[in-house]
Amino acid sequence: MRRGLVHVTRRFTFSAGHRYWREEWSAAENQRVFGALTVSHGHNYVLEVTLAGPVDPVTGMVMDLAELKRLVHDAVVGRFDHADLNADALFRAQIPTTENLVRAAWELLVPKLGERLHRLRLWEDPTFHAEYFGP
Amino acid sequence: MSAPAEGRLTRSYHFSAAHRLESAALSADENARVYGQCFRPHGHNYYVEVTVAGPVDPVTGMAGDLGELDATVKRVLLDRVDHYDLSTTVPALAGVVTTGENLARAFWTWIAAALPPGRLRRVAVVETANNVFEYFGDDEEP
Repeated sequence: MRRGLVHVTRRFTFSAGHRYWREEWSAAENQRVFGALTVSHGHNYVLEVTLAGPVDPVTGMVMDLAELKRLVHDAVVGRFDHADLNADALFRAQIPTTENLVRAAWELLVPKLGERLHRLRLWEDPTFHAEYFGP
Repeated sequence: MSAPAEGRLTRSYHFSAAHRLESAALSADENARVYGQCFRPHGHNYYVEVTVAGPVDPVTGMAGDLGELDATVKRVLLDRVDHYDLSTTVPALAGVVTTGENLARAFWTWIAAALPPGRLRRVAVVETANNVFEYFGDDEEP
């Protein structure tokens, strides 16, 4: 939270599949650590993108929300929606947990949104979310 | 004896109002381009989340009186905006482009002025289920 700035949050949704598995581990070890998550399954993800910034005195906006929608669709929603996250190049070396996915989304969005990007909150299901405020 | 713990409470309020986004500094064509469909008169069911902080009263166990907060928010906010056209019929918003950003800051100013100094911590304008605008005030962190 940054005082003096308006915080704008927009909500996006995408659906994707994944499983938790480390190739270098035995099947028994994967099963012990990840349990049911070793089996391919999917989620309806909800991504909340929060920008913090000054309000343009002419437009009254921190950022054009239609432009934000386009950027987030191009960079994140289009990439992950109805995709197998394990097949994405971003998850060759890391498991597509919610924690890793929210950091990956940050890396995809920060080049386009810059310092205005304040927080990402990624809901895997209605009971669990991960938040990231940047490195 | 230690000071009483600070508590924060958030209350959600609702009003319905019309608005359109149009900046007097822009031409009609520019307004249509910048604001798109929001340039047309339309409306929302707005929710406003108001967060106040205060010492937890050792007797009542409360950080604030919800009844008092409700009465204050009704007087300074809801009575001014509920079932009005924010862009044309609310004198306190004259000259303001009624984006969520500007509404959050205007509502902060109205509510903060009606509460003891330092009590108000956050105002969030929930314009739709997908869009939220938050303001935390201008002062340094207390």
